Amino acid sequence: MTSASIGVQADRPADLDLVRRLRDPALLLVPALAFLAFIYLLPLIDLIRISVSGPSWSSYFERVFAIPLYWDSLVRTMQISVTVAGLCLLFGYPTALLIHRSRGLAQALIATAIVLPYFIAILIRTYAWMVLLGRNGPVNKLLVSIEILSEPVQLLFNRGTVLLGMTAVLLPLMVLTIYSSVARLDQSLTRAALASGAGPIAAFWRVMLPLTLPGMGAGFLLVFVAAIGFFITPTLLGGPGDQMFAMHITQQADSVTSEGFLQALGVVLLTITLAVVAVAGRFLGFEFIWGGRKLTEATPGKTDLRAADGSRRSLGASAADVIGWPLLRLFGRLPASCGTWTVRIMGGLVIAILILPIIVVMIISFSSASYLTFPPPGFSLRWYEQFFSDSNWMRAFWTSLVVAAMSAGIAIVLGASAALGIVRSSIRGKSAIMLLLVSPIIVPPVVLGLSLYSLFLRFDLVGSVFGLAAAHAIGGLPIVVVILSASLQGVDARLEQAAAVHGASSLTVFRLVTLPAIMPGLAAATFFAFLHSFDELVLTLFLSSAELKTLPLMLWGDINYRLNPVLAVVSTLEVLLVVAGLVLARPVLATSRKAT
Amino acid sequence: MAEPAALRAMRSGDANVGTSPTGRLRERDAIGSSIAVRDAVKRYGSFHAVDQISIDIEPGEFITLLGPSGSGKTTLLNLVAGFQSLDSGEILVDGKPVHNVPTHKRGFGMVFQSYALFPNMTVSQNVAFPLRMAGVDRATAERRVAETLEIMRLTEHATKSPSQMSGGQQQRVAIARAIVRRPKVVLMDEPLSALDRRLREQIQIEIRDLHRTIGSTILFVTHDQGEALTMSDRIAVLNAGKIVQIGRPLDIYRHPIDRFVASFVGESNLIEAEILQKRGSTLTMKSRTGYVFNAESRDTIDVGRATVLVRPERIAVSNEPTANSAPVSVTSAIFLGEILRIEAQMEGGEPLLIRCTDMADRPLPTVGDRLHVSWGAADCWVLA
Repeated sequence: MTSASIGVQADRPADLDLVRRLRDPALLLVPALAFLAFIYLLPLIDLIRISVSGPSWSSYFERVFAIPLYWDSLVRTMQISVTVAGLCLLFGYPTALLIHRSRGLAQALIATAIVLPYFIAILIRTYAWMVLLGRNGPVNKLLVSIEILSEPVQLLFNRGTVLLGMTAVLLPLMVLTIYSSVARLDQSLTRAALASGAGPIAAFWRVMLPLTLPGMGAGFLLVFVAAIGFFITPTLLGGPGDQMFAMHITQQADSVTSEGFLQALGVVLLTITLAVVAVAGRFLGFEFIWGGRKLTEATPGKTDLRAADGSRRSLGASAADVIGWPLLRLFGRLPASCGTWTVRIMGGLVIAILILPIIVVMIISFSSASYLTFPPPGFSLRWYEQFFSDSNWMRAFWTSLVVAAMSAGIAIVLGASAALGIVRSSIRGKSAIMLLLVSPIIVPPVVLGLSLYSLFLRFDLVGSVFGLAAAHAIGGLPIVVVILSASLQGVDARLEQAAAVHGASSLTVFRLVTLPAIMPGLAAATFFAFLHSFDELVLTLFLSSAELKTLPLMLWGDINYRLNPVLAVVSTLEVLLVVAGLVLARPVLATSRKAT
Repeated sequence: MAEPAALRAMRSGDANVGTSPTGRLRERDAIGSSIAVRDAVKRYGSFHAVDQISIDIEPGEFITLLGPSGSGKTTLLNLVAGFQSLDSGEILVDGKPVHNVPTHKRGFGMVFQSYALFPNMTVSQNVAFPLRMAGVDRATAERRVAETLEIMRLTEHATKSPSQMSGGQQQRVAIARAIVRRPKVVLMDEPLSALDRRLREQIQIEIRDLHRTIGSTILFVTHDQGEALTMSDRIAVLNAGKIVQIGRPLDIYRHPIDRFVASFVGESNLIEAEILQKRGSTLTMKSRTGYVFNAESRDTIDVGRATVLVRPERIAVSNEPTANSAPVSVTSAIFLGEILRIEAQMEGGEPLLIRCTDMADRPLPTVGDRLHVSWGAADCWVLA
């Protein structure tokens, strides 16, 4: 056998070289990168090009900053985003601890209460708050019935509701980010602190808190970055004085005259987002975006980093000594149960905030009243009948299904091959490539929609099902890549080696060992990519036409014009879809939590 | 070997070392506590992890909880540490009940299997942690940390972060952290199982020496019977949530109470035999294969059948028949260095394990060879 192969090698070395190159797993990255280059990078570059195409490169930007409306809105956006991120951190940390500390069924229920809203469309969750806080909503009814209010008042459309709504929408992201850093800690560290004489509060302050600081930082920045680009929630819950920056872009998008100026607005938003992410990535490592660990092994700069860590730590430690110890003695006097109760009360509050609106909406969908009121005067299925008999709703429903299925298909094919490429190849710059693949998560959807709009106009894709599916796949791709590269890394390389040693070809190894091992991840990735497209609204606002209406688009239109229980029906169906998906994916989530 | 000054100072009970404002840490107090566990029960659902365990531990004793995984040894340690609460029963330290005292007020030291060093602190900060928590002033704390690091030969690593150290060094830091307060009780949860054999043996010796120096009561958990035998004053063998036997290593090894202890601690031959005659504490017995021999026993056994333990190294082997020897045929023979490990079959087919020292005139037997084995009355132990 050896002599034969040597002979072949001697005859055609060039061919073999070519074969080897064609078998390089790095090639698997090409389709996804080409896709992103065309539909994601190119439009963004074009957006930047148009924004600097004025009389001088900065003229459009000068206009943006010269008009007080935009400057004020920018400042307001920053204020709101920081407040929301702060609130999320304040309430999210105890909730993450609550999940970590509970056991068995309680843990499963609490975790579900957090994860379920995470996968429900932002539009629907915002709508739920409108129902909850509306004039005939349960909050007003309750306040009147206990005679705090004499008659129902307008609770909506102010800064408070914007903050509440955005915090509620973004809390799951914060909780899950912090939970992953808490769960990663060795449990015996807390025990060691206790055994060393530290009370529960001291153990938390000296051990738990410092070690989860990176997780808190990551959560804060993820929420902040998401909040900057927020559009749906402030539009629906805010008043005229609560305009956020992203809202101006959609408002201006309708007028043709603002070409250039519009793009400059987008570039400003994009620049701020990227700057925050870049600074955060410098300190936390860019892995914080997808909550993963480093893909590359030991980097050469590691020792330097460590030394820097050392000096910073001693600085931090001395600060903690000066302020921390007296504080700690003070806190140490509190009964130990204080901490436990803080965690329980705040965690319970968060769960109520996340789950109650959804439950109220589900109940209202069975209402017999022709307007929104809670509690419903009676129960009926009339709104379900209306939904299923209305051809407009049904058409939108089918359009959404088709678009989401196509989008999930594109995302899974490109994403799976990219994940294989990134995990199995040995090319340099893996981190940079991963960053590029995952970056669509952080680009504000409004900016992405704006940039895609000109591309779609040029190629006459506006209003095409395929175009919309491809656009949705930009956001689906990162989901698939993150889930699948994690499951691929979880595949025991020794199993594959064992199969190969016993005579399996590389394709057989993939089919018999690798594929079954990543199958749960593949199923979860498909579902989440599907859901991403099914829920997508902002890109769709830019890219659909009168003939091509998706379900979220119909919802959006109805929420703005008439707030009736049909929307509650759609919301209930979406919740059921997510619940079904989570139930199916539960074994997957359980195993992937073990792996990461 | 030169003894570190700090160690000498400690042993002489130098009174000015570490006098804290609370007086909690005075050197002469650093003598172990007695621990008494009474009818401790811990259930998980219907599973009894700890099932009515009672044990009395003397002040300053080195006691090992030995058992297979799931035997309840770690649960018992966690109960003593206060990580889990008793379902019933009580735990007394120096006669005072502690089972309702939270962990951090019990004042124990503890070493964990995973080291559990705080990654956000340097070595010396880790070691200083228990002192800071006890409210010891900075100067005293620094001096104590320096002493303890010297004892554990870690002085030059004081400013390192734990992740920069090897497993053995990390475990020494963990031990330093556990003893820095001179606790009356040190708990050790399989502290050596993550280390390789050479390091394990080295740190075993260090822990034993340390125990003699500081005089704390040490409660040590392991599933490694060799470790238990070499380190402990007494061993408590656990199985299925109960203490099966408790005693000095020699007693446990020579006079196990039942088949479980006999086979879990050391290698053993368990021979079923019929009791023919009893004279004093000596029984005359006949194995199933017809081999008649004498055996020592407890007084309680007199007639019927019994299981006899014969340790493999107590079996005398010769190439020729001797007085009262039995023939065996070799089924495998392995050269282990200083000893030969021979598996053989007696004539009735009963397997027999033999360990004998390597000697110049004894060639390594080959499979099928016939040998002649014998053992004296003192070499056997009759189990219940």
